Amino acid sequence: MPVPAHHIVVLPPPFDAPPYPADIFAGQVVLVTGGGSGMGLAMAKAFAQGGASVAVVGRSIERAAEGAAQIAALGVRTHAMSCDVRLPEAVAAAFDEAEAALGPIDLLANNAGANFPVLAEDISPNAWNAVTRIAIDGTFLCSTEYARRRIAAGKGGAIVNNSAQYIWTGFPGDAHSAAAKTAQATMTRKMAADWAPHGIRVNAIAAGFFPHEGSVSGRREEGTEPLQNMIPAGRTGSIREFGWLSAMTCTPLFGAMTGQVIVQDGGESLRRSLIMPDYVPPRERADGPWGWK
Amino acid sequence: MNGWLAGKRAKIEGDSPAIAKAFEAAGATLAEGEADIWVHVAPPPEIKPAHELTHAEWRASMDVGLDRRFLGARDFAAACCAHGRGGAILFIGAPEQRFGADQAAAAGALGNLTKTLGVEWARDGIRVNSILTHETGETLGRLAAYLASDYAAYVTGAVMGIALDD
Repeated sequence: MPVPAHHIVVLPPPFDAPPYPADIFAGQVVLVTGGGSGMGLAMAKAFAQGGASVAVVGRSIERAAEGAAQIAALGVRTHAMSCDVRLPEAVAAAFDEAEAALGPIDLLANNAGANFPVLAEDISPNAWNAVTRIAIDGTFLCSTEYARRRIAAGKGGAIVNNSAQYIWTGFPGDAHSAAAKTAQATMTRKMAADWAPHGIRVNAIAAGFFPHEGSVSGRREEGTEPLQNMIPAGRTGSIREFGWLSAMTCTPLFGAMTGQVIVQDGGESLRRSLIMPDYVPPRERADGPWGWK
Repeated sequence: MNGWLAGKRAKIEGDSPAIAKAFEAAGATLAEGEADIWVHVAPPPEIKPAHELTHAEWRASMDVGLDRRFLGARDFAAACCAHGRGGAILFIGAPEQRFGADQAAAAGALGNLTKTLGVEWARDGIRVNSILTHETGETLGRLAAYLASDYAAYVTGAVMGIALDD
């Protein structure tokens, strides 16, 4: 069902009107994991709109390079790299390479992750390990590598983590990501406490539905139009507003903010009623574990 | 702050110089009457063990921490709907657990009220968020301005702090 015409749906400002000046990150380097596409690319573009140089880390160098080209078109320096964030030596090497290309890493955005509809009993050990370790170990390894370097340099900094709106409720049909994304949020709070004495801030965005070309929702045959009315806000998220809020937490404008997990989901995680559709277990849903393919 | 609130009228009930300053810097007009944004700021209550709180003191905390906020939000939403326009509501207060039982009750109730109204009024274009914090400085003002702006159009029903111990 489309959103009724008399409902008010509010859109964010256009892409060329970011919420901060074009030089707010001038002279700074941000490393974005999974920055070649999707939500990571949105984060990377948001940092670039504030003048940051961007190190784009991806599993695939081709995708990282494609993303880096889009980011460079915004007028900043970029460097694309391939890295498996599950491996500590690879993470250290990626930081070395990024620093050699662009200079010391001032800011970190942990976005690398994977997510797809699957029944819990069908998750293979490999799939479980891939989804959980990219997000959980990857966020840990990149954050600690970053923090050790910042602390050694006697400098503060800021980290933003891409978490998810389903971290408080679980996500039947997506058990691996439900576990992984909550781990990111809880480690956000603890790392913020651990590194507050060093001036390193750590925050997370618990993101809702931001369809893009690489996401399950973005690839639906029916398109994303039928999803709009599911969300209390009357629409799925525009990926630029996710990028902007993520980057905002790293600006000096929010300089006192740390240890926060900010939900940005148009009310999606909160919609409920005493009168609800009958519950259908993920296994029995005609259209796949999420209720739609 | 790039005109986050350009053309918006904001009514701030309660005292927060940082928010007033940030709103004006973001281009908002501070208004007494009709407004596009309603901010309610409740001061933290005195800390007392629960058994030393009189009912009158308890009631005063609930009144400013919860009841007045709901009633004010209800009136603001009614005005928005009457004019066929959206709006933004922001509740500012102290965090839940570092004060007395009165604050714990009021802040807990407010948090779930925020989540409820954020969804209940979503299709009226009215967003509802809360910042529960010890902070009173510039980050509070700027975060409040951001949440009140269309940059946060996809943030509603959110309850957040600012500092570690919020």
